Amino acid sequence: MGILDLTSMGEPQVDVKREIIGQLERLQDEIPEYCYQCAKCTSGCEAHRLLELEPHRIIALLKRGLIDEMVNSDIIWTCMSCFKCWERCPQKIAPVEILFLLKNYAVALGKQIPGNYTAALQSVLSKGLIQDVKTISTRTGETKSRRDVGLPEITKPVDPVKFQALISKMAVEKI
Amino acid sequence: MKKPRIGVFVCHCGINISATVDVEKVKEYAKTLDGVAVSKDYKYMCSDVGANLIKESIKKDKLTSVVVACCSPRMHEHTFQKVASDGGLNPYTVEIANIREQCSWVHDDKKVATEKAKKLVEAAVAKARLLEPLITSSIEVTPNALVIGGGIAGIQAALEIAENGHKVYLVERTPTLGGRMAQLDKTFPTLDCSSCILTPRMTEVADHPNIELLAYSEVEDIKGSIGNFTVKIRKKARFVDADKCTGCGDCAENCRLKGRIIDEFNMGLNKRSAIYLPFPQAVPLIYTIDPNHCLMLTTGRCGKYPLCVEACEADAIDFNQKDEVITVDVGAIVVATGFNLLDPSIIPEYGYTHSPNVITTLEMERLINSAGPTKGEIQLLDTKEKPKSITYILCVGSRDETVCSWCCRIGCMTALKHLYLIREKLPDAEINLCYIDIRSYGKGYEEFYRTARNLNINLFRGRPSEVRPTKEGIIINVFDTITNKLFEIKTDMVVLVPAVTAREDAVELARKLKISTSSDGFYLEGHPKLKPMDTATGGIFLAGFCQGAKDIQDTVAHASGAASRALTILSKKELEAETYIAVVDEELCSGCGICISVCPYQAIELITEDDKKRAKVNEALCMGCGACTAACPSGAMQQRGFKDKEILSMIEVLSK
Amino acid sequence: MTKKTLVFYPGCIMQTEQYSYEISLREILPVLDIKLVDVEGFSCCGEPLKSVNRMITLVLSARNIALAESRNLDIFTPCPICNLAFRECKNILDNDDKIKEKVNGFLAEEGLTYNGISKVIDLLELLYDIVGLDYIKKHVKKPLDLKAAVHYGCHAIRPSEIGRSDDSEEPRKIEDILEVLGVEAPWYPEKLDCCGGLLNMNLPETALTKTGEKLRSIQEQGFDLLVDICPWCHRQFDSKQKKSGETVAYSLNLPVVYLTQLMGLAFDIPWGKLGFNLNLSPVNTLVEGR
Ligand SMILES: Cc1cc2nc3c(=O)[nH]c(=O)nc-3n(C[C@H](O)[C@H](O)[C@H](O)COP(=O)(O)OP(=O)(O)OC[C@H]3O[C@@H](n4cnc5c(N)ncnc54)[C@H](O)[C@@H]3O)c2cc1C
Ligand code: SF4
Ligand code: SF4
Repeated sequence: MGILDLTSMGEPQVDVKREIIGQLERLQDEIPEYCYQCAKCTSGCEAHRLLELEPHRIIALLKRGLIDEMVNSDIIWTCMSCFKCWERCPQKIAPVEILFLLKNYAVALGKQIPGNYTAALQSVLSKGLIQDVKTISTRTGETKSRRDVGLPEITKPVDPVKFQALISKMAVEKI
Repeated sequence: MKKPRIGVFVCHCGINISATVDVEKVKEYAKTLDGVAVSKDYKYMCSDVGANLIKESIKKDKLTSVVVACCSPRMHEHTFQKVASDGGLNPYTVEIANIREQCSWVHDDKKVATEKAKKLVEAAVAKARLLEPLITSSIEVTPNALVIGGGIAGIQAALEIAENGHKVYLVERTPTLGGRMAQLDKTFPTLDCSSCILTPRMTEVADHPNIELLAYSEVEDIKGSIGNFTVKIRKKARFVDADKCTGCGDCAENCRLKGRIIDEFNMGLNKRSAIYLPFPQAVPLIYTIDPNHCLMLTTGRCGKYPLCVEACEADAIDFNQKDEVITVDVGAIVVATGFNLLDPSIIPEYGYTHSPNVITTLEMERLINSAGPTKGEIQLLDTKEKPKSITYILCVGSRDETVCSWCCRIGCMTALKHLYLIREKLPDAEINLCYIDIRSYGKGYEEFYRTARNLNINLFRGRPSEVRPTKEGIIINVFDTITNKLFEIKTDMVVLVPAVTAREDAVELARKLKISTSSDGFYLEGHPKLKPMDTATGGIFLAGFCQGAKDIQDTVAHASGAASRALTILSKKELEAETYIAVVDEELCSGCGICISVCPYQAIELITEDDKKRAKVNEALCMGCGACTAACPSGAMQQRGFKDKEILSMIEVLSK
Repeated sequence: MTKKTLVFYPGCIMQTEQYSYEISLREILPVLDIKLVDVEGFSCCGEPLKSVNRMITLVLSARNIALAESRNLDIFTPCPICNLAFRECKNILDNDDKIKEKVNGFLAEEGLTYNGISKVIDLLELLYDIVGLDYIKKHVKKPLDLKAAVHYGCHAIRPSEIGRSDDSEEPRKIEDILEVLGVEAPWYPEKLDCCGGLLNMNLPETALTKTGEKLRSIQEQGFDLLVDICPWCHRQFDSKQKKSGETVAYSLNLPVVYLTQLMGLAFDIPWGKLGFNLNLSPVNTLVEGR
C-alpha cells in the first residue's frame, strides 16, 4: 500500500515531512495541512515573476512528502523573504517559513549552499557580524571610515572564542 | 343585450410603450371603434392615479366593459380586474390588449408598431363587446393531507401538518419509516448520530393522534384536484398480524432461510431471514415476510411446517393475509419520495463489479455504523481484515455529461465525514481522496473541511481514469493537477462517491400525480427560486430530496416549507374555483363523449336526461385547460371567457 | 528631560556600512529627548542566516536580547530586519518554556540568560507611539515642501502574525510623520513591493532588477524623492541605484533618503551633520541652499 510519484518514481518521505511539521509547530507557525491550494501566495510572490518560485506548489509537495525534489533544486533559494505569502494566506500558512526550513534541511544534508550565505556564516562565526566594517565612499568619491564620520566603535562579541563555540554548537542543532 | 359602452385605457408604461407606439394615435383610433364610449391614456395605468382614472370613468361614462392596452395579462390583468370591481363592474368584463410584450418591446419601427397596437386594441374591443359577466363559485376543502414517502422529509412534513390540527395519511413504501437517514451513521457537519436524532421523530409520527401511518403501502391512484383529491392506497400484506406482532424477532431467528437473503437495508453487506425487520428501531415495529423469498409464499411449503409460525408465541403469522386497498380523501398532497444513489457498475472502469473491496459511500455508512453488519468494524469485504489504505473517489458519475450532469451536493461532505470517522477507527491507515473540487457550502461545512484537512489525508486533485484491482492490491493512477504529477496509489479499499438520481419509479408516480420531472429526473418545482416547494399542479407540493439533491438540513427546511404550503390550502374552508371553466350548450351536445376522453382531470361525465345523453362538467374539477372545447365536434363545449364567438370576433379583426 | 532611555542595537548592515542612518539617528533622537545607550558585545541578529539554520537565528536573537536585558532597558532596533528577528524570537521563547530553556542552555556558555523582560522597539513605534507626532511637530523648524514616495520595507510591516508596528497592507505612520515635516506622501501602486535586497545573498542580479523596477516606477510617477527606514532597502535604492539602473536599462536619478535624515533637515540640523554626503543617489537637489 502506498503512493508513488510515477513522474520521478519518488515515494513520499513521510518522516522528513513529519519532522518539518514538528519544527513548524515548535515555531508556532501554521501547519501546511490546512493549505487548500488557492495559490494566493504564488499570485503575489515577489520571486515568482523573475525566478518562477511557486510557494503554493512548495506547500503541495511538502504535503505530499516529496521533499528531496525540492531540496535538490535551487528553487527554494529564490525566496526574497518579503513575507507577502504568509501575510496574505487565508489559512495563515507561512510558505516563507516553510522555505526556510526546507533550506535548513538542504544545508543539513550537506547540499551546496549558494552565493554569499557561506561567507556570511563564516563571517558571523569569526567576527559575530555578517560582514566586515567598511570604509565607504561619499558622493564625491572620498572614502570615509566610521571614525571619519564621527561614529563610535562598532559593537561586537567581546570574547570571540566563546562566541564561536556557541555558533558551532548551533550549526548542528535543529529547531 | 344592452348596448355596450366600452372604455379604452391606453398605458404609456413610462416610455416602455410610448417610445415605440404612438399612444395618442392609438387612443384617438379607439374612439372611432364601435361601442367605445371613451378612450384615455396615462403614463402608468397600473398606478393609483391610473386606477382612479378608470374607476371614475366607469361611473361617469356608465361603462359596461373596459379594455386596457398595456402589458401582458399575466402582469396586470388581476390588477385591472380589481379596479373594475372597485368601480362597480364585474371583474371579468376587463379585456387586456398586450401592446408591450407583443408590440412595443419587439418592434423598432414606430409606424408599424402603432398600426399593430391599433389592431390589438380593436380586437380587444371586439371581444369586449361580447364579454359576459362571470361568477366565480367556490369549492369546499377536504382538510386532510397525504404525505408520500416516510424519510426525514415526509416525517417532518407530516408532523408539521398534524401539529396544525389536520389529519395526515403518511404512505411509506418500505416496512419502516426513516428513509436514507436511517442508514447513516453520523451526520455532517456536527457528527451527531443519525438514528439518535431520527428515531425520536419516527416515534412521534407513530404516536401522533392526527397521523395515520400507512407503512409498507403504496399509492395506486389519485383523482380530483386541489382541495379534493381521492387517493387509492394499497396496503401490502405483511403476512404478519400488525396487532399481534410484538417485534420480538423470534420468527426471524428461526426462519429456515436465516442468513440467506440479501439485506437491502445493509446494502447487501449481510444476509437476513425471509421474515425481517429492516433495523431494530423500525417504526412501526412489525415484522414483514418477504413475499419474493419466503418458501411458504413462493412454493407453498416450508419443510414440514413453517418455523416462524412455530416460533411466534403471539401467533401473529398469517399466510392468508391479503393486500388491502383503501380510499382516502385529502385536500393537499406532499411528495417526499427521496432519492437513489447511482449504481456505479454503469461506470465499469471504476471496478465496482470487479472487486468486493470497491464499495459506495452508503455501504461505508453501514460498515462504520456500530449497529451495522460488522458492528462498526471497518473491514475488507473479502478477507475481513482491517484495510491499511482506503481511497475515496469523488464525483463518480456526477458532473459528468455522459452520466449525471448535476452535482450531488452531499458527496464531498459525506466523504469528509467518512475520513473523520475512519481516522477515529483506523489511526494509522493511509487515507486518500481524489477530488475535482471540494464543495463545502453549508453552515459549518467549510470549517469541517478545514478540520478534515488535518487528519493526515492525501488529497489528489484529479479524477482517476480507472480503478484496477490486482493481486497486489487495487491500483489507481491519478494525475494530480496540484503537483502536476502522475501518482500511482496502491490501496486495498476504494470508496466511490456516486451520483444521486431520482427514485426508479419517480416518473410513474409523477404520472399518477400529474406533476412533471426536470431533465435530471427529479420532480420539477413551480419556480426554481420563488416556488421551490410547489408543482405545476395545484395542491401538490414537494419536500426534500425528491425535488433535487439536498442534505438533511436543507431537506428539513424544504419539508417544513412544503407543509406550510399545504397548510395554506388545508386551513381554508373553501377555495375559489376556476372561473374560466368549460360549459356545455345542452342544445348542441350530441352526447358523443369525445370530451370525456380528452379531459385530463376526469371533470366531465355523461348523463342521461329526458332520454338524451349529454356531457356534464363538474365545476369543482374543471381546471379550464380547454382540451374539451377544442375537441368537441359540435361546438357545444365552450370555455367561459374564451367562447368561440369571442375568439372569432378577435380573429376577424386581426385578419382584416 | 529624557523621555525614554533605550539600548541601541544597530545591527550589522547599519554599523558596517549604512553610516548615514546611524549618524542621523544619533543626531535627531537627542532632539526628541530619547537617550540611546551603546552596549558592548552585540552580534548579528541572526535573520540573514535563517536560510542556513533556523536555530542559529533564534539563538543569536536571544543572545542579543539577553545582553540588552542585563541593562534593564528596552531595546531599540532601527533595522526592521533585526527587529523582526527579535520579535519572532520573543514570540517563540515567551510562549514556549521548553524552547526557552533549551536556548538558555546555549546562552549559558557566555554567561547570558534570556528572560523576556525587555521590549523590542522599532523606529516607527519609537517615533509615532513613544515620541508622538505632536512632539515631533514642536521641533520642526523648516518644513520641507516635497513630494515623497514612501518605502516601508517588507520586514517592517510583515508578517503581522508576529506583531509589527504598522498595518501590513495600509501602513500610515511614515506618511503621518512626513506630513508633520511638511512633506506630501501620496499612495502609489508599488508602495508595498519588495526591494529584492535579501536576494543579494545569492542572486544579486535579480535583486538589482527588483530594485531598478521599483525605482523606475517611482521616478516615472514624478516623486521628488524616496524615503525609507531599512538599511538593506536603502543599500539597494541608494548605494546601488546606479547599478540597478544599468540592470533595468533605465537612467535613474531619484534622491533616496532615510526618514531620519529628512527629520533632521526639518529640525534645521545642518545637512552636513546628517550624513547627506554619504547618500550616493542625487540628494544634492534636496540639501542645496540649506
Ligand atoms: C452515503 C450518504 C451519506 C449521507 N450523509 C449525510 C450527512 O451526514 N448529513 C446530511 O445532512 N445528509 C447526509 N446525506 C443526505 C441525506 O441522506 C438526505 O438529505 C436525506 O435522506 C433526504 O431525505 P428524504 O426524506 O428527502 O429522502 P429519503 O431519505 O430517500 O426518504 C424517502 C422515503 O420515501 C420512500 N419512498 C420512495 N418512493 C416512494 C413511493 N413511491 N411511495 C411511498 N414511499 C416512497 C422511501 O422508501 C424513503 O423512506 C447522506 C446521503 C448519503 C447517500
Ligand atoms: S495562500 Fe496559503 S492556502 Fe493559498 S495556496 Fe498559498 S499557502 Fe496554500
Ligand atoms: S516571502 Fe518568499 S515565497 Fe513568500 S511571497 Fe515573498 S518571495 Fe515569495
